[in-house]
Amino acid sequence: MVESQGLAALAGDVAGGSDQELVDQARAGRREARETLARRHRQAAYLLALQMLGNRDDAMDVAQDAMLRFFTSLGSFDRERRIQPWLFAIVRNQVRDLWRRRQRRPGERLGEAGEALTRHLVDPTANPEADLRRSELRHRVWRALAELPAAKREIVVLRDFHDLSYSDIAQVLDIPIGTVMSRLHGARRQLRARLGGERHA
Amino acid sequence: MPEQCGRTFDEVLLSGYLDDALVQGDEQRVRVHLEDCATCRTLVEELAAVREATMSSTFDTPRDHEWPEMPRTGASRLAHGMGWPLVMAWVVLFGGYALWELWTEAENLLEQLILVGGVSGIGLLFLRVLIDRLDALKTDRYREVQK
Ligand SMILES: [Zn+2]
Repeated sequence: MVESQGLAALAGDVAGGSDQELVDQARAGRREARETLARRHRQAAYLLALQMLGNRDDAMDVAQDAMLRFFTSLGSFDRERRIQPWLFAIVRNQVRDLWRRRQRRPGERLGEAGEALTRHLVDPTANPEADLRRSELRHRVWRALAELPAAKREIVVLRDFHDLSYSDIAQVLDIPIGTVMSRLHGARRQLRARLGGERHA
Repeated sequence: MPEQCGRTFDEVLLSGYLDDALVQGDEQRVRVHLEDCATCRTLVEELAAVREATMSSTFDTPRDHEWPEMPRTGASRLAHGMGWPLVMAWVVLFGGYALWELWTEAENLLEQLILVGGVSGIGLLFLRVLIDRLDALKTDRYREVQK
């Protein structure tokens, strides 16, 4: 391990390394390893923050702060764990700190910021017209998600957008893994009800 | 669900089924039930459609150059924090020397008074900035290792 680390360092090749290797190198003080880790994970941190806050500048601040915190806590990071759940837990705390500072309740619905959130949606298809219906559905879903209380929104977003496993979700939310499924289902139920309500309205 | 449904398991398993997160026995129970129950089948299909929409969404993200400079390490952050106080220490020493020279060369009381007034104003300003910087250094939240 030490030897391959040394070789990678000689080759100056950190971009292709696994997270584990990069964490080891970052701990050893290698700046490039830190930068590669940051580039690899900050977008997901940004997106989670955006989905919770609905505001681009706030999301940037939170993501950047979360990356800083991640690097300052690297010493106590268990390298056998995956980075994303650890980082997401930090993002989540930062988001709640921000709400607290602005004296908003953590049960926050996004309201108008939810509309702002959907403006950051991009349609990946080369032929937008063909996928217009799917695109419309996506906009409706994110508007409905924005209307959910934060605790419901975050669990759906973690599972369905960020593709976290139940055990990763349990780690991020700091809840027993046995409760993830029921919480998730409750949130999905509520989301579906919102979408149904909108359709019949 | 308003309709009659002979389901013998908790509804939350439908989400587990959707996520492919059930143990084999539960997965089988749900699958068998879905074959017979249109109500649950519809629910699963609707939840799946919403999940698919969420999953397939893309958001624009900041470009690389929009990100602030990369996180500083403890050492460089310390250097950053210490930079200002050092500059000010230099200003105080050098300025003090220059002022001493001016003072000894001042030719009358008026010149001395102007000098004293100007110097104490500037001195207070610097002191204020110095205290602010030291405060910021002391309360820098990133220095604390956060679990
Ligand atoms: Zn049924």
